[in-house]
Amino acid sequence: MATTRIQGYRPGLVDVATGQISREIFVNDEIYQDELERVFARAWLFVGHESQIPSPGDFFVSSMGEESVILCRDRVGKVHVFLNSCRHRGMKVCRYDEGNAAVLTCPYHGWSYSTDGRLVGVPYFREAYHSTLDRSAWGLVEVAQLCLYKSSVWATWDPAAPPFLEYLGDFLPYIDLTLDAWDGSDGGTEILCGIQKWRVPCNWKFPAENFSGDSYHNISHRSVDLVGIGPSGSGRRDMPELNMARKLHIAFPERGHQTTSYLLPKEAAPPPAYQHSSVVSDYFRECEEARRKKQGDWGRMIALVGEVFPNTAFLARQPRTLAAWHPRGAHETEIWRCFLVDKSAPAEVKDFLRDYYIRYSGPGGMTEQDDMENWNYAHAASRGTIARRYPYSYEQGMGTAVDNYEWEGFRVPGTVCDLTQAKSSEHNLRNLYRRWAEFMEAESWDELTIWRRQRQAEAAE
Amino acid sequence: MSEPVNIRQIAPGTKIALVDGALAEVVSNPADGVWVFARYLSSPGDPSRVGGEEMIFAQDIVEIRE
Repeated sequence: MATTRIQGYRPGLVDVATGQISREIFVNDEIYQDELERVFARAWLFVGHESQIPSPGDFFVSSMGEESVILCRDRVGKVHVFLNSCRHRGMKVCRYDEGNAAVLTCPYHGWSYSTDGRLVGVPYFREAYHSTLDRSAWGLVEVAQLCLYKSSVWATWDPAAPPFLEYLGDFLPYIDLTLDAWDGSDGGTEILCGIQKWRVPCNWKFPAENFSGDSYHNISHRSVDLVGIGPSGSGRRDMPELNMARKLHIAFPERGHQTTSYLLPKEAAPPPAYQHSSVVSDYFRECEEARRKKQGDWGRMIALVGEVFPNTAFLARQPRTLAAWHPRGAHETEIWRCFLVDKSAPAEVKDFLRDYYIRYSGPGGMTEQDDMENWNYAHAASRGTIARRYPYSYEQGMGTAVDNYEWEGFRVPGTVCDLTQAKSSEHNLRNLYRRWAEFMEAESWDELTIWRRQRQAEAAE
Repeated sequence: MSEPVNIRQIAPGTKIALVDGALAEVVSNPADGVWVFARYLSSPGDPSRVGGEEMIFAQDIVEIRE
């Protein structure tokens, strides 16, 4: 299949009208190079969490696309994200994963930067440069836009990108279900322990589509369900309230974000959970009661998984985590996963969650091991000359989504596909690839901010 | 040529002799092995530097004077 941009991604490679997507977008190196420029250099990307850099001088080395970046807090407490590459010869300025520093010094020739990115130390400045080098022009490259949202840190290289909150639009309350404390109060979370990092030989879009809402693959976790790693000793999770809820695929076509969430009936009391520890069980019951009281009808919403376009995933409950799928070539993804807990939670709750979370997710987690095996072999088996001639099928639930979904008096934001009876749909997956194709084709953010055009058209009417 | 100084071990308050004949007192040390922050005590080549604070490059430090 030809891959030139002239032919177009939507009609040629991503055909959401027929539910067929070419394998080329996963395995083609040329498309991958295009992706780095057109997706990762333009979209908002998750960089880290403020709890990783609580004090002035703290830094954490993160990633945006293939680029290494430094997330740091300067001496007056302001948060920055810099390209981790010396302006002199490109050496990685910071080679530690994290730490605290008064200055960030390049080990190659010694150029040194303050934590607000200014070039402050140039060896032989007087002698070799005759004091003429304009140090103010040679600071670290800083991201074009940065947003701190409920302690999570997001950034984009593109000055023309819409502000982060506009980028998320009405999807925002869905990620709040992961970023807020368990009792629904604003933020109040921290990263539990460190970040898990590991590499999987697959294209980054395999995990991205999985966390967009692929519940069809649950069969591959059946062995985990049989083992019973859940926090009450059975299954993978214990969220029995889901049995009385509506299971929904919720997508935002103009933005490319999507989630699988559950809408509870009115007045549904939270069933018991975390039965292996009474302290933990009591904590979650009290938090959940407080959340529902505080949030009213919105408290009936429970997020399961979701994906912020392009490469940030969340799991809202069991486990509560954020993950970034960092591309490392067309055929490799570096996965970073962090787990969120309430800062103020009792130590016993944090300990319990730590054990449960690592039992579930990450390279040693039983559920994620299943996923990695699927992504790894699906990618490998799609690379061949013959294999790549045949598209994947994304036809589940076509034509069943609605824009005005309502149940028991609650109108759900987004385009919704009710899976309660259908069991599964690929509505969210198509949404991911529709947006991906738009990014790959669009020459500017003017074309990508579809909602602005819609708003202008409505205003003109 | 003098022995290279391991600047990571220099504590604040230490006096250091510089290659241009200046003498400075270390104010803080980021321990990156490349720079220290120091205040000039004397500077025969450029007396205007005396009292000023600068980042001093490791290779410009020739001796520790205590």
